[in-house]
Amino acid sequence: MNTDLNMKVNVLPVYTYNFLKVNDSNIELSDISIDTVESPAAAELPQGVSVKRGISFDEAGEVFRANKDRILVTTGVPGDPNGDTSARDSEQAVRTGMGIDADKLFISAGAKSEVYTVEENAKVEKPVVIRFDMKDGKGVLASQVIHAKKNSEVTIIMDYDSGADKEAAGFLGVSTRILAEEGAKVTVVKTQLLGSRYLHFDDLGGACFEKGAIRLVSLELGAQKVWNGSYINLAEKEADFTSDTGYLCRGEDKLDINFVTDHRGKKTNALMQFKGVLMDKAQKTLRFTIDFKNGSSGSAGDEQEDALLLSEDVINRSMPIILCQEEDVDGRHGATIGQLGEDLLFYMQSRGIDEEEAKRIMIKARLDSVARIIPDPELMQRVQYYIQNII
Amino acid sequence: MSEQSLLQVKDLSVSIDNELPILHNINLDIKPGETHVLMGPNGAGKSTLGFTLMGNPHYNVTEGNILFAGQDITTASSDKRAKAGMFLSFQNPYEVPGISLSSFIRNAYHAQTGAPVKLLAFQKSLKAAMEILSMDESYADRDLNVGFSGGEKKKAEILQLLMLNPKFAILDETDSGLDVDAVRTVSKGIEEYQKKKDGALLIITHSTKILESLHVDYTHVLVKGNIVHTGDGSLVDEINANGFERFV
Amino acid sequence: MSDNKQVVADIDRSLYDFKDVESEKDFYRMAEGLTEETVLKVSEEKNDPEWMRDFRLKCLKLYEEIKMPNWGPSIEGLDMDRISSYVRHKSDMKGKWEDVPEDIKNTFEKLGIPQAERESLAGVGAQYDSELVYHNVKDEVAAQGVIYTDLESALHGEYADMIKEHFMKLVPPTDHKFAALHGAVWSGGSFVYVPKGVKVEIPLQSYFRLNAAGAGQFEHTLIIVDEGADLHFIEGCSAPKYNVANLHAGCVELFVGKNAHLRYSTIENWSKNMYNLNTKRAVVEENGVMEWVSGSFGSHTSYLYPMTILKGEGSKMEFTGITFAGKGQNLDTGAKVVHVGERTSSHISTKSISKDGGIGTYRSSVTIQKTAKKAKASVSCDSLMLDSISRADTVPAMDIRTSDADVGHEAKIGRISDEAVFYLMSRGISEEDAKAMIVSGFANPVSKELPLEYAVEMNNLIKLEMGGH
Repeated sequence: MNTDLNMKVNVLPVYTYNFLKVNDSNIELSDISIDTVESPAAAELPQGVSVKRGISFDEAGEVFRANKDRILVTTGVPGDPNGDTSARDSEQAVRTGMGIDADKLFISAGAKSEVYTVEENAKVEKPVVIRFDMKDGKGVLASQVIHAKKNSEVTIIMDYDSGADKEAAGFLGVSTRILAEEGAKVTVVKTQLLGSRYLHFDDLGGACFEKGAIRLVSLELGAQKVWNGSYINLAEKEADFTSDTGYLCRGEDKLDINFVTDHRGKKTNALMQFKGVLMDKAQKTLRFTIDFKNGSSGSAGDEQEDALLLSEDVINRSMPIILCQEEDVDGRHGATIGQLGEDLLFYMQSRGIDEEEAKRIMIKARLDSVARIIPDPELMQRVQYYIQNII
Repeated sequence: MSEQSLLQVKDLSVSIDNELPILHNINLDIKPGETHVLMGPNGAGKSTLGFTLMGNPHYNVTEGNILFAGQDITTASSDKRAKAGMFLSFQNPYEVPGISLSSFIRNAYHAQTGAPVKLLAFQKSLKAAMEILSMDESYADRDLNVGFSGGEKKKAEILQLLMLNPKFAILDETDSGLDVDAVRTVSKGIEEYQKKKDGALLIITHSTKILESLHVDYTHVLVKGNIVHTGDGSLVDEINANGFERFV
Repeated sequence: MSDNKQVVADIDRSLYDFKDVESEKDFYRMAEGLTEETVLKVSEEKNDPEWMRDFRLKCLKLYEEIKMPNWGPSIEGLDMDRISSYVRHKSDMKGKWEDVPEDIKNTFEKLGIPQAERESLAGVGAQYDSELVYHNVKDEVAAQGVIYTDLESALHGEYADMIKEHFMKLVPPTDHKFAALHGAVWSGGSFVYVPKGVKVEIPLQSYFRLNAAGAGQFEHTLIIVDEGADLHFIEGCSAPKYNVANLHAGCVELFVGKNAHLRYSTIENWSKNMYNLNTKRAVVEENGVMEWVSGSFGSHTSYLYPMTILKGEGSKMEFTGITFAGKGQNLDTGAKVVHVGERTSSHISTKSISKDGGIGTYRSSVTIQKTAKKAKASVSCDSLMLDSISRADTVPAMDIRTSDADVGHEAKIGRISDEAVFYLMSRGISEEDAKAMIVSGFANPVSKELPLEYAVEMNNLIKLEMGGH
């Protein structure tokens, strides 16, 4: 599918100064060609998980539409934040980090979704593994819905890999929508080792009911241009979202991220951590937002960034936003951005490690801290090997 | 006897956030000038009693009353109790950035007496009190409790005791976490308060270090929310030697 | 804060809210609305040089072209057709307090301005509606060569070229819609020049009072602190409350020379019908230091982000701000900084308090350009929520284009803890006072940067807001 239309994605939940050019990002569809509009099948389905394939993108969102009032629960206290952009995505079955234009692409391309359902009380130990074998020249749109019923537990691994062809070109767009019902725990692991000329986007939207939890581990290591979005509704009491994102941008890579956690239930908890490295002429834009809606009393939200800049020519943009309409919350943000500390460097040099080696150690340390969380040993090794090879 | 009583606690039961009661049917009668000690193992409810007497809103009196100087203060807010002459030395004093220790004491003094504070006289007596407590003068200008060590926080509490000079003071674990020298210094401050006049004390502690140099009139043993035994000052020595075992 | 408590009795809002009825015969008031005709009339009233008249017309065109911002608070309540852009008393500016018209004098007397001048200021300018009504500099300061005058007379005097060279160069009218508006109808304001090496020991102050209902105030402040010079400039603003919208779209341009130091302090207490769309900007040369101290209490709606361009090597900026958003207020405030020179450093520290349905937004940008090697930037913003019908939003941005920079950012949001309130109450302090004390303590990093009488005023404003009067 080739079209002249552009997608406006990763729109900030609240606009800020236009001169910064961070309010949104554009994907030019003329850069993209698509030949496949469905996701590869999972290697094997562990017990307790079932899948329906070939559902239209729109229909796959039905489970969210049916629960819309429950997900978007509100106390009715008025007062939108200044520059609020939520109306833009109100037609989505469930709001995602990249927003409505991503949905529109899937729908207009006639994309088919996989709907995974995890049975009530099923504690699925073996992960559902979906491997994306992204050879040079491919163009894929893939979408999944993960519906974890009450008190179930499941892990989904999405493995995007171009294999030995380090310079593969192509396009991979993924949409994942998750509903974690009461007490359900969904862990999603995404490892992106695409060829260096790939365009890639990865969009996530989710909702958690009471004590429902979504855990996200993602590593963006390859591809040339990447858009990554996540919007999680913590709709009910004690819902939880925890994410660890690691990235490495080299050459002229561009990475554009928009993460939002929307606290609506009481005593909800969110922790979003980003660790990454920028080299050469890479550019990264990170928007991350904690949104404490009225009624989310007792909630805590924390967003942390640690960016290591290793070249004079990188561009690093960060928008750590906290929105708050609730008195009894604990929200915090911290960021450290810069190069290798002189003290650390001196310490390493005093142990006989030169500057280049010290950099390698620090890059590896950052990415490894995320890679180590990957629950699949084979994949973890492959990712660590990939990291080792780059540096 | 009730005419002479300063603090009377009658059949007091207390719960936190409306859950199961922590204190059951507590009775106390403290007269001006008396020093009472409340002892008991960890988790017995000692600090709960201190907070309840001072009116912490998290603690709900489910039964009974508290009378202070003949007035029923069971439902009075804590500032009213302080104005009536009560004081609580906190186990974990709160850090309040932006307000210096000295200006805080002046504010509290002003709030309690309603009288204007004479700056020079105030500074003089603050300096004297700090000397008794071996506190460096610089603490007066530091933000209230912010960055104070455990010992400094306790000293700052006793400093407030001396400056505000209440009729009745509850000292909640004032000796916990202090080294030997600091305990001695704090005791000196408490003696100073005892000296002053009719000041009454309720000393909450689970050890006995702080009591060594103080005169004690009564000792109460609190176990699992009940006062299981009341004796005179010599009970302190007995507990010191044998622990709480015979009361548990 | 206790010091203040004893010095000053409780104030009430009437200190700022009193209105002086402006009798028609004494005041010249321009028709509402904004057209080429009104702009030309302002220009004529002010006896502009030709370049300034042309500049105003250019700005008007820009104003009509530039769109409203899409990101800030709503300004729908502001109907430009109902704002009179120019109101002045039919008398000239005075250099002696006794000569200031009685009604205006009364207003400033009530605000304590002449007293403050006698006691602790090097010079004072007082603007009433669109014009400065009083300007005075202490002799010893004038003797140092310090120029402190109204901008209009400066345009015709010895410093005319200096003004032409700097006027709206730092804040070009293309910057945003209300900068263009300002360029078209600006009136009043001050010009300060501190010559090389001169250190002004005590502060200069301008006080702005917008007394007319439904009017706009568009004063322009231009300050040049030359090499090695030192100045503290204080700006105070207030207005009585009317039921119609008032507009303040002032502009402040600050030029801090090599090794110079400028501190610019503001306590803004516009009435709660004011739309405060003010633009402030500073450029700092080699090893110069710019310090901002900013308290925002008043206004219905604010857009206020003082910006600093750290141009020279080793230049520094420090911004300390507090915003208190109460009932009916939408205060969008913060700071912007651009690091250009090597080894430049900036520190932004803000506190914001939201109460009674008020909306407080901290918005900022920190830009580190490729040339700013070894730059250091830190941001710390704390918000305090006093109830659950208010908003406290934090919207910072960082754009970093060199690896050789050290950037830190911290933000926290929270409330007054019950334990802290209980602790203070247990010492005999009432609940209301305990909360006010904690809020004042929270605001202390800002108030301690202010001269005493302003710190007193700020603490009184906090008490006033906390009391919910």
